[in-house]
Amino acid sequence: MTPLLEIQGLNKRFAGLVAVNDVSFSLAAGEIAGILGPNGAGKTTLFNLLTGFLASDSGSVRFDGRDLAGEPPHQIVNRGLARTFQLCRPFAGMSVLENVMVGCLAPRVRHRHAPRARARAILEAVGLAHRADAPVEVLPYGDLRRLEIARALATGPRLLLLDEPFAGLGATEIEPISALIRRLHASEGLTILLIEHRLREFMQLVSRVIAMDFGRVIASGTPADIVRHPRVIEAYIGRDDEVSETGEPPAGEPRGAA
Amino acid sequence: MKGRRATGVIVVLAALAALPLFIRSEYLLGILSVCFIYGIWATSWDFMSGLTGRENFGHALFIGAGAYTAAFLNGKVGFAPWWGLPAGAAMAGGLSLVIGIPTLRLRGPYFALAMLAAATIMQRLTLIFWQYSGGEEGIPGLDPLLESKAAVYYLCLGVFVVITLALLLLAGSHWGLILRSIRGDEAAAQAAGVNVTFHKIAALVVSAFCAGIGGVLYAHYQEAVTPDVFSVALSISIIIMVYVGGIGSLYGPAAGAVLLALLPELLRGLGQYRLWVYSLVLIFILFFAPEGVIAPLWRRVTGGATGGAP
Ligand SMILES: Nc1ncnc2c1ncn2[C@@H]1O[C@H](COP(=O)(O)OP(=O)(O)O)[C@@H](O)[C@H]1O
Ligand SMILES: [Mg+2]
Repeated sequence: MTPLLEIQGLNKRFAGLVAVNDVSFSLAAGEIAGILGPNGAGKTTLFNLLTGFLASDSGSVRFDGRDLAGEPPHQIVNRGLARTFQLCRPFAGMSVLENVMVGCLAPRVRHRHAPRARARAILEAVGLAHRADAPVEVLPYGDLRRLEIARALATGPRLLLLDEPFAGLGATEIEPISALIRRLHASEGLTILLIEHRLREFMQLVSRVIAMDFGRVIASGTPADIVRHPRVIEAYIGRDDEVSETGEPPAGEPRGAA
Repeated sequence: MKGRRATGVIVVLAALAALPLFIRSEYLLGILSVCFIYGIWATSWDFMSGLTGRENFGHALFIGAGAYTAAFLNGKVGFAPWWGLPAGAAMAGGLSLVIGIPTLRLRGPYFALAMLAAATIMQRLTLIFWQYSGGEEGIPGLDPLLESKAAVYYLCLGVFVVITLALLLLAGSHWGLILRSIRGDEAAAQAAGVNVTFHKIAALVVSAFCAGIGGVLYAHYQEAVTPDVFSVALSISIIIMVYVGGIGSLYGPAAGAVLLALLPELLRGLGQYRLWVYSLVLIFILFFAPEGVIAPLWRRVTGGATGGAP
């Protein structure tokens, strides 16, 4: 079977810095996989390349058998590849329902389902139905993360890219979002690729981890394998002075999780 | 809530429609006609810039394009004045494509600056190509669209109301939602499947088309056109009217423009202090009510929610 997503020799350089360096891997339809890597490893840049927000210097991305080279972001969304952002980016000045409705207006889905009803159903599915009419400005951060996922779901994706869906969440808020992602994978048959820089959250969630460092894929395998992988351990422990964006040091996580 | 709004709108419209029965002064009816034209300009500015958040510093480009097209066809070529309406609107719409297509695909200030520059350049061109545009004096001696001042009043009021309602309907539609998402976060809109460049350009064409119609009405109301219709001062005063009315609401700028255009007349009794008072009122409003005045007030009176169309 041809993979749903096939990345080959992808490269992206910013001035002197190689942010994504010869990355190749593929995802089978129905798979749920994670990209692991310390801050600055190039994970978000990889997502930006896959979704057309950045143009790669070389390499190819095939989605559903089609080369995505040169396609603008909205067209890639309409092929069924949706993403969320690492920092929540709600549409300011609009209600929660309206935010999701915008996704429901994507040409891919708008003719098959009434946008408003579909948006309500999606809010129900992510547990935001009670907030439908609230302006996004009043949402707590955990709900913004759900909204971010809801808006991507609204476009009717086959592959969902989640950029650090747990970023900024406390320990008690992570589990419900994790359960939501598992549910989307299990019941909707969605293929999911998510980024996380703490291995702990991956253990129960994904079947495969792709570990990156300095723009390269350094290891790939089941979470249990990755935990013991010497290059992954080195990537984390070798830089235990680093502090992550959420203010927690990622150092030692592989050991803690093992 | 909806009922109160509908009642409010009907009362205001009925009062405006009945006004010529009480006002016999042709001068005053003329002033009010111009107020409605300002209303068209402000509402059309708000449709593009208020909804998508891309500010346009040269709305006068579209106004002047409409006005000069109408004046040229009527004053120089000798067409009947009504031809100006479709021709002026089409000219403004065409110019909006020329500016919008190259600049709206870029982020940053390119669009705003290109609009400012284009309007200024057009003002210079009217001086350079004076054989066609009449230079400094412009093109005088145009035919009015309708003979009586009361008829012109109703024409301007009618076009103003139709354009405002049409733009409000669009703003409240799915398309309006898409345009507002671009203002909310352009990258996120792309991630939600929105072709942001296309929608910004389409909104600009609609905005230009309506502003052009306003420009045609203005030229024939004045029975003349001068290079001032391309001026930066006009573009800026429209933006001020929108901010006073409440940006992004369309009806706020519509009402704000009519009232602000009327204000200098109401202050006429103050003589030489008129401009001072006018400016102070504006500064006061923009300083103490950054959300504008009309739209928030209307929402409070009719008990509406924030944002969006009424
Ligand atoms: N638009 C950009 N311009 C310049 N450098 C960038 C840009 N985006 C990311 N980078 C750099 O590329 C590297 C990888 O960043 P990123 O992909 O955000 O890492 P991650 O998501 O893994 O934390 C970092 O060093 C970052 O500073
Ligand atoms: Mg990142």
